[in-house]
Amino acid sequence: MSGAGMVEARIELPAGAVVAAPEKRRMPAKGAALWAVVVFLCVTPFLLVLTISFGQKIEGAGWEWAMTLENYQRVFVGASWPDEVTFLYLQKLYYSLYYAVIASVLAVLTAFPFTYLMTRLSRRAQARWLVFILASLSLSEVFIVMGWDVLLSNRSGLPMVFKATGLTDWLKAVGWFDILREWGLANPRNVKFKTSEFATILTMTYLVWPYAVILLYPPLSRLDHSMVEAARTMGAGPWKVMSTVILPSVRLPLVGAILLLFVFLLGTYVAVTVFAEPAKQTMAVSVYDAVRGNTLNAPFGAAQAMVLLATAAVFLSLGHVLSRRAEAGA
Amino acid sequence: MMLRAAGQVFMALSAVMLALPIVVVSGAALNSGRSMFFPPREPTLARFAEFFLSEPVWVTALMNSVLVAFGSAALAVLIAWPVAYRLWLSDTRASRVLAGLGSMPFALPPIVFGVGLGFLWSFLGGLGEIWSGIVSHAALFLALPLVTISIGLQSIDRAHLDAAATMGATEGMTFRTVILPQTIPYTISGFFFALVLSFNEFIVMFFVSASSYSTVTLQIFNSLRNGYTPTMAVAAITFITVSVIVFSAVARWGDLPRLMGAEPSKS
Amino acid sequence: MSGLFLRNIRKDFGTVRAVEGIDLAFAEGELTALLGPSGCGKTTLLRMIAGLEEPTGGTIMLGERDISRLPAHKRRFGMVFQNFALFPHLSVRENVAYSLVIAGVARGEAAAEADRLLDLVQLGSFGDRRIGELSGGQRQRVAIARALAQKPEVFLLDEPMSALDAKLREDMQVELRMLQQRLGITTIVVTHDQREAMTMADKIVVMSDGHVEQVGPPHEIYHQPKNAFVADFIGKANFFDGRVEGGQVRVGKTLLSVTPPAKFTNGSAVRIACRPEKPYLDSADAEGTRLQARITFVRDVGPVRDIHLETDIGPMVVEYALGETDRAFRLGDTTQVTLPPAALHVFPEPPEGAAA
Repeated sequence: MSGAGMVEARIELPAGAVVAAPEKRRMPAKGAALWAVVVFLCVTPFLLVLTISFGQKIEGAGWEWAMTLENYQRVFVGASWPDEVTFLYLQKLYYSLYYAVIASVLAVLTAFPFTYLMTRLSRRAQARWLVFILASLSLSEVFIVMGWDVLLSNRSGLPMVFKATGLTDWLKAVGWFDILREWGLANPRNVKFKTSEFATILTMTYLVWPYAVILLYPPLSRLDHSMVEAARTMGAGPWKVMSTVILPSVRLPLVGAILLLFVFLLGTYVAVTVFAEPAKQTMAVSVYDAVRGNTLNAPFGAAQAMVLLATAAVFLSLGHVLSRRAEAGA
Repeated sequence: MMLRAAGQVFMALSAVMLALPIVVVSGAALNSGRSMFFPPREPTLARFAEFFLSEPVWVTALMNSVLVAFGSAALAVLIAWPVAYRLWLSDTRASRVLAGLGSMPFALPPIVFGVGLGFLWSFLGGLGEIWSGIVSHAALFLALPLVTISIGLQSIDRAHLDAAATMGATEGMTFRTVILPQTIPYTISGFFFALVLSFNEFIVMFFVSASSYSTVTLQIFNSLRNGYTPTMAVAAITFITVSVIVFSAVARWGDLPRLMGAEPSKS
Repeated sequence: MSGLFLRNIRKDFGTVRAVEGIDLAFAEGELTALLGPSGCGKTTLLRMIAGLEEPTGGTIMLGERDISRLPAHKRRFGMVFQNFALFPHLSVRENVAYSLVIAGVARGEAAAEADRLLDLVQLGSFGDRRIGELSGGQRQRVAIARALAQKPEVFLLDEPMSALDAKLREDMQVELRMLQQRLGITTIVVTHDQREAMTMADKIVVMSDGHVEQVGPPHEIYHQPKNAFVADFIGKANFFDGRVEGGQVRVGKTLLSVTPPAKFTNGSAVRIACRPEKPYLDSADAEGTRLQARITFVRDVGPVRDIHLETDIGPMVVEYALGETDRAFRLGDTTQVTLPPAALHVFPEPPEGAAA
């Protein structure tokens, strides 16, 4: 408390007593302004997407307000239903979920031991690691994709390294090369990593890995280490300690982290366009195409965005329920 | 203990994995040609000069990035403060809903928020203007200062507020003289988190700028079809360096582990 | 079961030496208290015995076996932690049965044994409760039962009472001691509370600054302190600084007679410790140096009366048990205090900044 502030308070005491009352009356008005700002900025964009998803595309790039369900119909069963049923867009949703689930689980599973080890270090060492993690976390997706693009590039990246070091020939000799071809990770001549599920999921996992560390950090750093020591004095070796003491204590944060990262990954765009095969693109990509890209059908894009949003909201509320349960149980 | 050694190896490997693309990109920035080779061919620092000085497209983009980042971070902090403050003062259902709504854009896939904002500004006439870009990012990153300031408020001993009240301070005075000074590190770190993330964001920017201006990441995003050039890699290095500096500063003058959720330091 | 022996145990944390070369023997079935102020190394010593810290040097022997390099989970000494460290995700019974389940005992058998132990600590009906529902005292009992489940050779407790209320503490000290004697298990308790050590221990190890000051049974520690630190840490004492003069000690202008005579050379600086219940007030019969005194403060503390005096050799506190004398002592009165020679313990004066 600054001394100057305190002197101020004493001098203004008589006026202060009078000011207090009107200030309390002013609060509700300030509250309303705040609500207006937050709702306007944070809620209306989503509401807009919702209303426009019922709109109709008109000639060229335009669209008009309407109240039609044809966009949603197209998303779920195709535009020519009931004559023809196509699940093209549901398939895109499927790939959105598919990539996101694997990447989020992989990220959390590998970040968990890392974060646990990190919390065992001194406070200063933790701060240094956190700087490293935060810096890489803030690196834009474009840069990350750029980096992996170079690394996995067929002409000058890892495939070239494989060829140059003779690894490719060795793989062919051992017979694993054919397996890689089946998985879409090799051409007849060499391994290829770009445009494969592997590259897509790898990049997406890499993208959220620092987030996983940040999300797991609070529960793991607050873990009561004396519990671990108690378990050791009772005969539990390192693996038993992990499975009977540590994992049960952080089970809920782990699942919560997976859910949050899953939701985040639903919206991935760049990594998918660069690394995923054309037939296995996601809904986020087609939203982009519809709204600003090639297809230019804003209401349709909005409908897809709403479907994506609804999926995200379902998983987020699941996470919310789980965290409530965690708070109640602890 | 062998297990300890294995743990250290694991951490080192993870760090290497994490740094790998960054190293690649940094190295590629030194290429003298137009292609991204790693290791770089004929390394030169010419690309750095291009980025910061000579190529107008990049200089403008950088200026826009800086403008949007600083503006939106400041605005986010300004809006986050009253929301966090109300939540802390009176933990009512209403204030919790408010905080939840403010965090929504950050929690949900940004592509949806970007699309919605695009629509919003096209109706209100702000589409393609820098100021709407600033406001958009402020809304997107509101959650960050909200969280850090909330953490800071939690560390305030409520007894201080009572003490100030018994000495004649009104709520406004208490806020200015007791609460604000004690939460400065948290306000600053919230500002910096929003700043750094804004620098790197491009999806929302894409929908909101509607091709009439671009930030650095947006510029790179637009050039995706044409492939990467080493000059873009310079941008990557710049941003990483800025992040490292910013977060190191936060770590140096604040309690970074605490900020990220650890318990208050015992020392 | 067999005795535990520490030989030249040392522990360094970087450049800080937390424990100097310590030799200690813990006899089978005895309860030993490691007593000292915070930072004296007692907890570090306990943790080395448990296997949670690796000694920088020295050996730990359990009977004939060298267990110095054995990891904690192979030593299986039962340990009670300061904050009890109970597992919140397991029930009370599951907590107690933990070591048995880890060792591969069948669930049913482990549960039955857990219930038996809970009976032993008077929590027989608590088996299904969650840890969060328990009070501090109940948690401590669960922690004790849990540590004993594996039938350990050594039972270790790290400040086991510090998380309890003061009243509960005293009751639990007696109960724990009785339990230990019933089971006959070698026990080591770390505490900073000298009364706790006096209540519970067969043997007390007084520590300060990483080394051992004195080892002995409680009454020996109390009545025959080896140095000023022990005299100050255990019980209460009056301290006077003076110089040796022909076997006696001169404090200011007064020559105090001491039994046995001070062994130090003439002129050595010494410190005298005198327990407050030893001097006599206003007594013609008592033998010893007699001083004039003025009463500056009187206070009845339960069963004891504290009388503060100002004398020629400095301020002093004398303690009388109520009922020990029918004399009335009032503020401002002058009186005579007699210091029995055998009650004056003489130690070399500690260096600057040391305890007392």
